[in-house]
Amino acid sequence: MFIGFFYKLKEAGIPVSPTSFLTLQKALGKGLVSSLDDFYTASRAVLVKSERYFDLFDQVFAHHFEGAEMPDYEGVELDELARALLESWLHDPKTLAAALGINESEIAKLTPDELIEYFKERLKEQKERHDGGGKWIGTGGTSPVGHSGNHPGGMRVGGASRNRSAVKVAMERRYRDYSLDGPLTQAMVGEALKRLRNMIPAGPRDRLNIDKTIYQTMKNAGEIEIVFDRDLKDRLKVVLAIDNGGWSMDPYVHVVQTLFDYARAQFKDIKTYFFHNTIYGTIWQDPSRYKKPLRIQEVVRFDPETRLILIGDASMAPYELMASDGSIYIDERSGKPSIECLKFLAETFRHSVWLNPMQSNMWGYTQTISAIGRIFPMFEFSIDGLEKAVAHLMAK
Amino acid sequence: MVSEKQTFSGAKHYVLDEELAKIVNISMALEMPLLLKGEPGTGKTMLAHAIAESLGMPLIVLNVKSSMKLVEALYQYDTLTRLNDSRFGDSKRDVRNIENYIKMGKIGQAFTSDIRTVLLIDEIDKADTDFQDDMLDVLDQMEFDIIEIDKTMGAKNRPVIIITSNAKKDLSDPFLGRCNFHHIAFPDPKMMRKIIRVHFPNIDSDLMENAVNVFYKLRELESIEKRPATRELVNWIRALKSDPDFKAKELAKGDIPYLGVLFKKSQDYERAVNTVSRRRL
Repeated sequence: MFIGFFYKLKEAGIPVSPTSFLTLQKALGKGLVSSLDDFYTASRAVLVKSERYFDLFDQVFAHHFEGAEMPDYEGVELDELARALLESWLHDPKTLAAALGINESEIAKLTPDELIEYFKERLKEQKERHDGGGKWIGTGGTSPVGHSGNHPGGMRVGGASRNRSAVKVAMERRYRDYSLDGPLTQAMVGEALKRLRNMIPAGPRDRLNIDKTIYQTMKNAGEIEIVFDRDLKDRLKVVLAIDNGGWSMDPYVHVVQTLFDYARAQFKDIKTYFFHNTIYGTIWQDPSRYKKPLRIQEVVRFDPETRLILIGDASMAPYELMASDGSIYIDERSGKPSIECLKFLAETFRHSVWLNPMQSNMWGYTQTISAIGRIFPMFEFSIDGLEKAVAHLMAK
Repeated sequence: MVSEKQTFSGAKHYVLDEELAKIVNISMALEMPLLLKGEPGTGKTMLAHAIAESLGMPLIVLNVKSSMKLVEALYQYDTLTRLNDSRFGDSKRDVRNIENYIKMGKIGQAFTSDIRTVLLIDEIDKADTDFQDDMLDVLDQMEFDIIEIDKTMGAKNRPVIIITSNAKKDLSDPFLGRCNFHHIAFPDPKMMRKIIRVHFPNIDSDLMENAVNVFYKLRELESIEKRPATRELVNWIRALKSDPDFKAKELAKGDIPYLGVLFKKSQDYERAVNTVSRRRL
C-alpha cells in the first residue's frame, strides 16, 4: 500500500528508508490508522526523521492525496512569489460582512486542484489589492481563494485555520522555517561549534582514577594506594580572522556577527582579528583596521595548536592576491604577495579553515576563491559547512 | 501485565495537541522510541512526565551528559566498594560474588523494573554519536550484557521510550532509522492561552491577554540569544500576579516589569530593557 507515495517522497529528496516504510505498513496492519488525518500523522512520524523535511513532506502529501501541484523548480519561484504577494495583501483583512453567500453552490463544486488553478489565474489577472467582490483575491470575498471569506470546501490562503484536515494542514506548509535553506541562527552556530573542544588536564589533582588505583593497589599486594588525576578542561585556543571590509561582505554581516558573538561567549581563549579581502603583512585587532595592527610574522609566537578560522568571501581582483604589492591600501606594502602570507599562515597553524558565506556552487566562478581554496580547506558558512569545518579542525 | 488498550490522552498539567497524542500512541503500539525535537520550552520533557502520569507508570529519567559512556546508563560495576570490602571486610556483601557490586543505571532500571515504565532519555544530542548508536542497539534488542558477570539482562517489560533532543542538526541515520520522529513547534498564542489556563485556572483574562501579547512581541525582538519560552512566561505571570501594585493595563501601555524573569542572559536583558524603555515594542 502507498508504494507510489513512498517513491514520490524519495524522488522529492526526503531520505526515507524501506525499513521505515515497513514499519508504517506494520502500523497500518495494526489498525492504528483509520483516516487520512491519521495517515498523515503516522506516515510523517515514521518516515520523516527531521523537521527540515517536514515542509517537503507536506508538499508531497498534498500532491499525492489531493493532486495539489508539485512545485517544480520554476513552480517554487512562482509559488513563493504568489504567496509573498498574497500575504502582504491579506495582512489586514477587512470585515467580511458584506459579501457572504454569493455563488456558493457553484464554487463548492471546485476541487482543491481546480482551486489552485483558479487562484493562480486570478493572481495573473489581478493587478491590485482587492477587498470584497466575487472574483479577485483579497480579503472577505466569496472568491474561493483568499482568506476569511466564506467558501464551502474551499482552500484557505494564509489567515487563521478553522477546520483542519490533513490535506489542508499539509498545504499550509507550517514547517517552511525548518527546511534546509533556512537562515543560520546563533543556536545552530552554537550546536556546530560545540564539538570544537580540546580537553587538556588542568587544575588540582582531585579526580580519582579508579583504574590506576586498582592497578597500583594490586601492585602493592592489596595495600590500597589511591591515585588522583587532574580534571579535564577545555583549553582550546582559537584565532578568528574576519573579512569586514568592502561591500562584498555586507550581505553576510549578520551571519558573521552571529558567529562572532557566539565564539566570544564560548571560547575562553579567543583572539579576533580583522582584514579586508585578503591578508597582506598585517591583521588588525580593531574592526576599523586602524589602531592595533599585528604583523603577520608575530603569529609564530602563538601556540601552533591554535585553531585558525578565517571568514571571508575570498572574492577580489586576482592581482590583490597574486601581485607583491597588490593591496588596495597604499600603506600596506609588505613586499610579499598576499598569497604567500596566506600560505605562511596555513603552514603555521596545522588546523585552519576558511569559511565562505557564499554558496559553494558559486565558488567556481571566482578565480581567487579556488586559489585560496587550495591553501585553506574552504567550507560553506552554513550549518552543514560549519559542521564539516569543525570536524576538520578537530581532526588529528 | 501490559494492557493492550493503554492509550495516552493528556495529563493534568500538560496541554496536548492532538497530532502529538496520535504520534505518541502510534509509537507505543509499534514499540518504537519516540524522538522529540524542538526549541527549549516547548514541553519535550514535560511530555514524558505527562505520559507517565496519565498511564500511571513510573518515570525513569536519564539525563545525558557529554562525557557519558553507554555503560554508565546501563550498569555500574562498583569497583571501589568491592575493593574496600575486600580490604576491610566489614560489610555483609559477599566479596567473591561480583553481582553484589553491579548497580543498575537508568536504562538498566527501566529494564529490570517489575512494571512497565516510561524511560525518558533527555537531551541525547549532548552525547557523541557512538553513544547514541550503541544505545539504540540496546533499546532495539531490549537487552544488554554485563561483561563482568557474563550475564545478559533482558527487559522484563518493554519501557515506553521518549528521547528528546535540542539540536538543530540531525542525529545519525541508524539512530533515526530506529525511532519515530516528531518536532514540537513553539506553541502559537492560542495554544499558549490554553497552557496558561492550565497553570492559572482562574487568571484574569485582561492580564492573560496582555501578558501573552507582550510575550510574543518580546520573543520577536532582534538578536536575542535565548528567547523566552513557556517556562519563562509562566514564571513571569506568577511574578505579575504576586505584585499587588501591578495592573494589567500597564502592560498595554508599555510598562513591562520583571524583564529579568523573561530574559536570562545579560546581553538579552539589556537589549530588552532598551527596547522597552524606548517604547519600541
